[in-house]
Amino acid sequence: MASADGGAYSYSLTVFSPSGKLVQIEHALAAVAQGTTSLGIKATNGIVIATEKKTSSILIDDSVIEKVATICPNIGIVYSGMGPDFRILVTKARKSAQAYWKIYGEYPPTRVLTQEIATVMQQATQSGGVRPYGVSLLVAGWDNHRGPSLYQVDPSGSFWAWKASAIGKNMINAKTFLEKRYNDDISLEDAIHTALLTLKEGFEGQMTEKTIEIGIVTVPTPAELEEGKIGGETGRPRPTFRKLSEEEVRDYLAL
Amino acid sequence: MSIMDHNGGSVIAMVGKDCVAIASDLRLGNQALGISSNFQRIFPVTDRIYLGLPGLATDVATLHERLRFRLNMYTIKEEREIEPETFAHLVSSTLYEHRFGPYFIEPVMAGMSKTPSGGLKPFIAATDLIGCLNFAKDFVVAGTASSKLYGVAEGLWEPDLEPEDLFETISQTLMNAVDRDAFSGWGGIVHVITKDKVITRTLKARMD
Amino acid sequence: MNSFVERYSTTSATGQLRRAQRLADEEDEFSDAAWGSSAGFGNIVKGSPSFMVPNTPDPTSFLRLHTDDHADPSCRIKIQHGTTTLAFRFQGGVIVAVDSRATAGSYIASGTVKKVIEINPYLLGTMAGGAADCQYWETYLGMHCRLHELRNRERISVSAASKYLSNLVYSYKGMGLSMGTMVCGWDKTGPAVFYVDSDGTRLKGDIFSVGSGSTFAYGVLDQGYRWDLTDEEAQELGRRSIYAAGHRDAYSGNTCNLYHVKEDGWKFIGNYDLAQLHNQGYGYEHRVEGRSSANPPEVVATA
Repeated sequence: MASADGGAYSYSLTVFSPSGKLVQIEHALAAVAQGTTSLGIKATNGIVIATEKKTSSILIDDSVIEKVATICPNIGIVYSGMGPDFRILVTKARKSAQAYWKIYGEYPPTRVLTQEIATVMQQATQSGGVRPYGVSLLVAGWDNHRGPSLYQVDPSGSFWAWKASAIGKNMINAKTFLEKRYNDDISLEDAIHTALLTLKEGFEGQMTEKTIEIGIVTVPTPAELEEGKIGGETGRPRPTFRKLSEEEVRDYLAL
Repeated sequence: MSIMDHNGGSVIAMVGKDCVAIASDLRLGNQALGISSNFQRIFPVTDRIYLGLPGLATDVATLHERLRFRLNMYTIKEEREIEPETFAHLVSSTLYEHRFGPYFIEPVMAGMSKTPSGGLKPFIAATDLIGCLNFAKDFVVAGTASSKLYGVAEGLWEPDLEPEDLFETISQTLMNAVDRDAFSGWGGIVHVITKDKVITRTLKARMD
Repeated sequence: MNSFVERYSTTSATGQLRRAQRLADEEDEFSDAAWGSSAGFGNIVKGSPSFMVPNTPDPTSFLRLHTDDHADPSCRIKIQHGTTTLAFRFQGGVIVAVDSRATAGSYIASGTVKKVIEINPYLLGTMAGGAADCQYWETYLGMHCRLHELRNRERISVSAASKYLSNLVYSYKGMGLSMGTMVCGWDKTGPAVFYVDSDGTRLKGDIFSVGSGSTFAYGVLDQGYRWDLTDEEAQELGRRSIYAAGHRDAYSGNTCNLYHVKEDGWKFIGNYDLAQLHNQGYGYEHRVEGRSSANPPEVVATA
């Protein structure tokens, strides 16, 4: 039986269709395309990742929803697609970062953590009894080796590095918008504003600090680096990724 | 008699001015019987990290291979050379994995680590046989002559030694210490790691 | 009650200890244990010295607990465990050669130990095992050899001297004495070497080597030994044997002390640093003359 939706091949995850596709992965991408828009922009002195936080009812307490997640002090991620799937990936990514810390005494570089997450997502396309993760991710982080870097991971397990990218519902328009607005010497402040403007393009309803989530990566200054990776008296690494507070988001929206 | 003393051998590492040195004797024994006077227990890890593995000879070989494996995996995965601090943690965690059946080795590391401004600064470290890290600012010692090495190094070492002076200091420390140890000696080897090169010299020693 | 206590104390061990302490307090009286001084005459008359004994019900096991090397290898009471000593008889007399290393565990406590004990101008004893035991009893033996001379108007034979020592240590058997010695000398019968140890063994022979490095010394010694060795050849063989032992054995080394006993008594030939011997021709590098696996000789192609 051959039909437009993939027919017999659309149910078995691990069987290629005659045209060489794993149709379940395409369905997963469709799930991502239905998700809320998320985007990331790499600036000269940092990275911004942002997403809209939509709730189906005003009765939902949106202060508990978290769509931008900190993985370790130098890496944060945002997603478009299925919230529950994202939560699982966040847990796995955090565990992976801690396991890396246990071996090497430092947190993983962005690329290594991205690879780790991508491996988890790829395995869900090749194992029996599971479905692919219904999310695309934007991974933003800073490390000694490569500096600030921004990656996108798809349900297939493929990943790319971007200067700026968007995923989710409005990704085509958002990417076109970003292509117009992006330049190589954009500052982090400008990038945050560009991010908000991009989100505004396809936004339904009011953009407020309650409906927007932002995470930023800041590049440490040479002086901060010289001080060493240990921050203050706590003995912990100085974080280079952090989420903006509601107050900070409100201030950016007001400008 | 402790299994740590079965094959004998000692390693010492010292910090100098913009350089580090690591040195070892060359004896491989079977209890009191000397077997080889050319047993290498110091290995290059990267161009600017050296690792000394004093202890049970069979574990010297095994642990070296195991660390080589892990290091190659790291280098390929991360597409970069490992930094001395990171390598020290790797050694430590590898040893602690065997907490209840350890390798009978007390590793000593010496290297030059990158500073954020792009320079290089001296780094030395040592661990016990289950991976307790000791980052020292002056010198670290291990092996059957460790107590003697501590004594001589405590007397000879001074801060900011230039490469040639550091070579002289570490060589004298090693030679005089192993001459008071029955299980170390039979020749010596010294590596001085500077910003742009590694100087390796073998030492002529008492052969008793 | 322990047989040792019965034999050597007038009352019990406790009683003797009390008496010794009382004697030590009164300085103008003489302790029985101090036979080496003029005060020791009292002992010599009695025939043997007496020792203070641990104040416990079983002094032998107390001693073993604190001095026995098998129970506690790091015990410091005896330090002379590893050693190489050798002596051999040949046409020209007796060669005695020893190393000079003293170890306590893996620690090289000294590199300048005198392991040849000069009992008298005609007798030498070697030191292996407990340093103090060897030194004390061989010096004590020297005293009795002198008494023998005075009594009999002639020198004691090596055989008799060694037997005196052997009988003496046998009487202390089980109390932890540790000695492996060669009594060497020249008497009416010519050159003589006797092996005596603290187990009570006494052997007459031509070639002996004692200590942890003895196997290595025997290897060289057996290979190069002939009765008709010249004096120079014999001295070289002794020195070369100690070098070999010092090289391979971790507990032997530093220097070699060489003695030659002839008809007119012993002569100290010299003290040789093994490191210098190594560099001046004894070392492997010199013997292979540049040809070794590191630098193999050229293979000549055959047709």
